[in-house]
Amino acid sequence: MKKRYRLSYFIVQAVKSLWRNGVMSFASIAVLMSCLVVMGGFALLVKNINVNLENLNMMNQIVAFCHPDATEEEIVAVGDEIAALDGVESVVRITKAEGLEKMKEQAGEYQDLYSDINDENNPLSDSFEITYKSEEDVTSLQYSLSHMEGVRKVNARVDLAKSILKFKNSIQWIFIWFLVILFVVTIFIIINTIKLALHSRRHEISVMRYVGATGWFITLPFIFEGIIIGLVASAIAYFVEIFAYSYISKSLVSGLEMIKLIPFSEINVPVLLQFLAVGVITGVVGSCISIWKYLKS
Amino acid sequence: MIEFRNVKKHYPNGTVALDGVDLRVEDGEFVFIVGRSGAGKTTMMKLLLREEKASSGEIIVGDYNLTKLRNYKVPYYRRELGVVFQDFRLFKDKTVYENVAFAMQVVGTPTKLIKRRVPAILNTVNLPDKGKNFPSELSGGEQQRVALARALANNPKIIIADEPTGNIDPKMSIEIMNLLMKINKLGKTVIVVTHEKALVDYYKQRVVMLRDGKIIEDRVGGMFK
Ligand SMILES: Nc1ncnc2c1ncn2[C@@H]1O[C@H](COP(=O)(O)OP(=O)(O)OP(=O)(O)O)[C@@H](O)[C@H]1O
Ligand SMILES: [Mg+2]
Repeated sequence: MKKRYRLSYFIVQAVKSLWRNGVMSFASIAVLMSCLVVMGGFALLVKNINVNLENLNMMNQIVAFCHPDATEEEIVAVGDEIAALDGVESVVRITKAEGLEKMKEQAGEYQDLYSDINDENNPLSDSFEITYKSEEDVTSLQYSLSHMEGVRKVNARVDLAKSILKFKNSIQWIFIWFLVILFVVTIFIIINTIKLALHSRRHEISVMRYVGATGWFITLPFIFEGIIIGLVASAIAYFVEIFAYSYISKSLVSGLEMIKLIPFSEINVPVLLQFLAVGVITGVVGSCISIWKYLKS
Repeated sequence: MIEFRNVKKHYPNGTVALDGVDLRVEDGEFVFIVGRSGAGKTTMMKLLLREEKASSGEIIVGDYNLTKLRNYKVPYYRRELGVVFQDFRLFKDKTVYENVAFAMQVVGTPTKLIKRRVPAILNTVNLPDKGKNFPSELSGGEQQRVALARALANNPKIIIADEPTGNIDPKMSIEIMNLLMKINKLGKTVIVVTHEKALVDYYKQRVVMLRDGKIIEDRVGGMFK
């Protein structure tokens, strides 16, 4: 006689049970969903910081601005002087016309703001983008540049990179602890949801044991409950994340032009897969702990 | 064949429930287990069901040595047994048919076979027309017969009944006992734990008497002393 167990049996049992203990099921899904949204938000934040830092580092540049009213000869002289400094890899001159062009480009849809400015009344000054050989040279280069005749202002992007890195490191631990606590609470709630499910079917379980149902047959519906909680929570979390991310992207892009956010379309698949993986694993771990505790007693 | 060899059972709290039991029951036998409250009758049944493990000694049931039986094999062993309890343990929200079918479903029996077999079993326990009824619509005796049908569902070799008539009136008790005798005649080993002197005396079967965890008497065709 061939023994057959249908997958649909376990799923139907799991759904029935989730429905029967609606409040707890809802709580489990809501908490797990929040966990995933926070985790995803944090991961995206870190990823965006990393990408932006890379952009900044790739430049490893110092920008030196000349005086707005410097003559062409003076500017060329400054350029030569910079090129002769220790630790300078290369120097590129950006004329004020090019500078204006760049600015308009970065403004994107707000280009109108600059429509009144032309080459005649360009308020910018010529500048030099200096690429240095190594990080160690930055401080001395900065010093030499700022004391150079004909240089008005020195911007080193590495400062910004460093402060962003510091910010990232300091929030990292807060977030990780926060996440750990959230996940502990989530698992605890899932454990209790499954415990309630087991309790409301204890009579059935005891009869199943007497007639010789295997441990797998008895426990699989409860593991499926955990899986369903995980699936539903990660699906909802995914949509919440899309919504929140696009909302934040919009408000950030218009505010700070130097920050480039990764478009969600580039990361939606990994985000969804990670949500599903973490959601389902959390659900299964919760139900397994609960089942294990139940079988022990 | 069921064999207890010098079986002792003490519970974690120190109670000695069985204190050196030796018993051999051949295939197809009918045995009453009797004795006062606390004598260890239910403990014996729990050991047979492998709900509890013996503290020492050996229990052998057919091809299974329960002392050595691994936990994951217990479900397969239990399919060799059918159990009936004093309190029926039926599902109130399932019909009679569903209650019996349940035992077959949970061990993976194909639906086609279940559909064929359940009516036949309900016939055996003399409830051919009650398939669609719910347990609450049946008398105590009828409910116990449904429980018996469920115990028979997976065609076990051995039927164990722990005080099957404890919750039903004497007239119905006779019916249950007659049914158990009938099942025994069909070739199954039947072990019945009971308090009811009159029943035991009436059927004149083998009687094993326990007192304080020991077998003090074992008589074929015996009477309840
Ligand atoms: N789970 C347990 N833990 C501790 N002691 C137990 C447990 N189950 C039974 N006992 C004790 O073991 C002894 C035998 O109990 P058992 O249930 O086997 O008796 P019984 O013969 O079935 O009695 P009754 O006729 O009242 O059902 C009793 O003293 C009882 O208190
Ligand atoms: Mg008892």
